[in-house]
Amino acid sequence: MIETGIPKLDGYLHGGIPEGNSLVYYAYPGVDGGVFGMQTISHAVSGGRCGAYIASSTDPRMIRDQFMEFGWDMGESVFADRFTVVDAFSGLIGADSQERYVVPEPDNINSLTQCIKQVIEEMPEPGIIVFESLSTVMDLCGEKETLDAVLEWNKYAMLYDHVMVYNFTAWPYSEETLLQVKGDACNSVVSVGGISEKVIFGWYFGLLKLDWAEMIRKWVLFKILKPGGVRIYIPKILVTGPFDAGKSTVVHALSNRAVSVDRLGTTIALDHGHIDHNGFAADVFGTPGQERFDPIVKLLSGEAMGVFLVLDSANATGFARGVRMLEITESFGLPVVVIANKQDLPEALAPEEIKTRLDIPESVPIVPAVASAREGVFEAFEMLVEMVMGVN
Amino acid sequence: MVYNLGISRLDELIGGIKGGTNIMMIGPPMSGKDDITNSIAYHGLIDGNATVIVSTREPGKNVLDWFESRNLNILMEHIGIVDCVTRTLGFGAPETENIKMASSPVDLTGIGVKISQFFEHFWMEIQLRETRLCINSLSTILMYSNLQTVFRFLHVFTGRIKAANALGVYVIEDGMHDEKTIVTLKQLFDGMIEIREGEDGYQMRVVGLTPKPTQWFDYEIDGVNIILRG
Ligand SMILES: Nc1nc2c(ncn2[C@@H]2O[C@H](COP(=O)(O)OP(=O)(O)O)[C@@H](O)[C@H]2O)c(=O)[nH]1
Ligand SMILES: [Mg+2]
Repeated sequence: MIETGIPKLDGYLHGGIPEGNSLVYYAYPGVDGGVFGMQTISHAVSGGRCGAYIASSTDPRMIRDQFMEFGWDMGESVFADRFTVVDAFSGLIGADSQERYVVPEPDNINSLTQCIKQVIEEMPEPGIIVFESLSTVMDLCGEKETLDAVLEWNKYAMLYDHVMVYNFTAWPYSEETLLQVKGDACNSVVSVGGISEKVIFGWYFGLLKLDWAEMIRKWVLFKILKPGGVRIYIPKILVTGPFDAGKSTVVHALSNRAVSVDRLGTTIALDHGHIDHNGFAADVFGTPGQERFDPIVKLLSGEAMGVFLVLDSANATGFARGVRMLEITESFGLPVVVIANKQDLPEALAPEEIKTRLDIPESVPIVPAVASAREGVFEAFEMLVEMVMGVN
Repeated sequence: MVYNLGISRLDELIGGIKGGTNIMMIGPPMSGKDDITNSIAYHGLIDGNATVIVSTREPGKNVLDWFESRNLNILMEHIGIVDCVTRTLGFGAPETENIKMASSPVDLTGIGVKISQFFEHFWMEIQLRETRLCINSLSTILMYSNLQTVFRFLHVFTGRIKAANALGVYVIEDGMHDEKTIVTLKQLFDGMIEIREGEDGYQMRVVGLTPKPTQWFDYEIDGVNIILRG
C-alpha cells in the first residue's frame, strides 16, 4: 500500500493504493488537481518510499521550489536517492537538463515510453511514479497514443509492483478519451471538481472508480493551503453559547488566525477564525451570547455545517440559555458538540453531570475543556468533524 | 453590465460591450499591442472592474511596473497577473498578492488554475462583479502547444468569461500563424480589434461588435490612453 497523504482519501481507498495499481486525479479545468499528485509523492517519499515525478510542463529546476511552496522539502539530502525528477520538459524548449532522466523528445510518445520504462526498471524497490500532467502529454503526443501508452506503462509498472499516479486535466477532449481516462485506463479515479456559478468558488473531490475494493461514494469539500496542501474543508462551524462561557476563547484556541470584533471585551458582532488541524480546514464563527443579539445570531447561522455549544461548567444558570441558543441557531439536526468549558475552576461540574441537566438529545457528545489553556478544544473539533463528515 | 475599451471613439461606435464578450486583438509586431492591452486593462480598473492579465512574454513584475510606474489612480488590489515567464527562466520567484506563477506557457492547466483563482478571489472576496481577462499573447501559447490544444483551452475559458459576464481580450501576432489557425480561433470570439500598418503609422478598427466593421482609425499611444485620429 502506498498512502496518498490526502486527508480522507486514504480511507476511501481502503488504506491507500496497493502496489502494482494506478490512480488518476481527474481534475476539471481551473481546479488545482496538480497538488494532489504532488502531495501524494511527497507523502510517499517522506514516508520512506522511492518516487519519480514526471515533469511535463515545468522546468525541472523549479520542481523542488514548487513542492517547497507547500512546505514539502523534496530537496532534502535524505531524499536524494529516493526522489527523482524526470525531465520531460527541457526537450520542448530546447534547453539543457541536469536531471538523470531526460526525455529527449517529449512530444514523441515512444521517446517518453522508453524513459518511463527505464525509470520503472531502475527504481531500486517498489515505489511510486507521478505524472505532473498527463493532459500535457496528451496534448503533445496525441490522445489515442497517450492512452495506449498509459495502459502499457501501467502493465509494466505492475511487474515491478510500482504505483502509477496521473494528474489529468479534463479539457474538452473527445468524449471517448475522457471516458477512457475515467474508465479503463487506471484502477482508480479520483474526481477533483469545482462548484461553479459565475466563478468556481468551491472545490470537492471523491472517488469515481475503484477496482480493488468496495467503492465509497462520498464527496468532500477541500481547500488548498500554502503551506499545507489539500485539506478537507468545512466552510462554517458555529460557536454558540451563553455570555461569558468562553466562545471567543474557544475560537482563538482553535485558530491559526482569528479576528474578533470586540466592544468592551465582549463580543457584539462575531469572532471568526480559520482552523487547520489534522488534515481539516474549517472556518469558525462565534456568535454573541446576549439575548438582544438573537436576530444577529440567526443571520450568522445560515449554512453552518456543525455547531459547538460552549458552556461554563461552573455556571449552571447559563445551561438553559445555551440550549435556547441552539434553537435560535436552528441547529437542531446539525451535528452538535457541547464544550464543557472552564473545567479548571473548582466549582466546575463534570461532563456527565452537565449532561443530566441539559435538555438535548442523548447522542450529543460533551467534551471537557479548558479553552484558555487550549485543552480539550481540538478533541471537540475532531469529534465534530467526524460527525459532519458522517452526515455528508 | 457593460464594458468600455477606454478608446473613446470606438466606445461611442460600439455603444457598450455587453458582459460575456470575448474579443480577439490581432495586429503586427511593434504596433503597440502590449500598451493597448494594458490600456484596456487600465480603463477597466478605472471603471471599478477587476483585471486579470496573463503574461506570456514578459515577467509579471514588468507588467505590474507598467501600472505602478505611472502613478495611476487605481486600486492595485484589483489587478491579478498570471506570470508564465519567470519560472521558465529558472527563477524561484514567490507569488505575491498581484502575481501568480504558472510554470510555463505549456502549463495550460496551471494557467487555467491561476485565472480561476483570481476570478474567485475578485468575485467572492472583493465582491467585484465585473472582470476583464487579457491574455497577452495567444501567439506565445501557440508556439508551445498545437492549435487543437489551445482551442480546447480557449473553449473552456471563453465559456467561463460568458458565465461570469466578464470581458475577455486575447492578443494575437499577425503574420505569425497560418490562415487555418486564425480561422479556427476566430470561431471562439464575438469580435475583433484589428490592427494594420497604414501609410502614416498603425491603424485599428473593430469588427463584429458593431453592425458593420468600423472605419480604420490612425491612433497614437499617449501614456495610458489610446488616441484615435481621423
Ligand atoms: N478559568 C477559565 N476561564 C476561561 C476559560 N475560557 C475562557 N475563560 C475566561 O472566561 C471569560 C469569558 O471568555 P470569552 O471567551 O470572552 O467568553 P464569550 O463571551 O463566550 O465569548 C474570559 O475572562 C476568559 O478569560 C477556561 O477554560 N477557564
Ligand atoms: Mg465573546
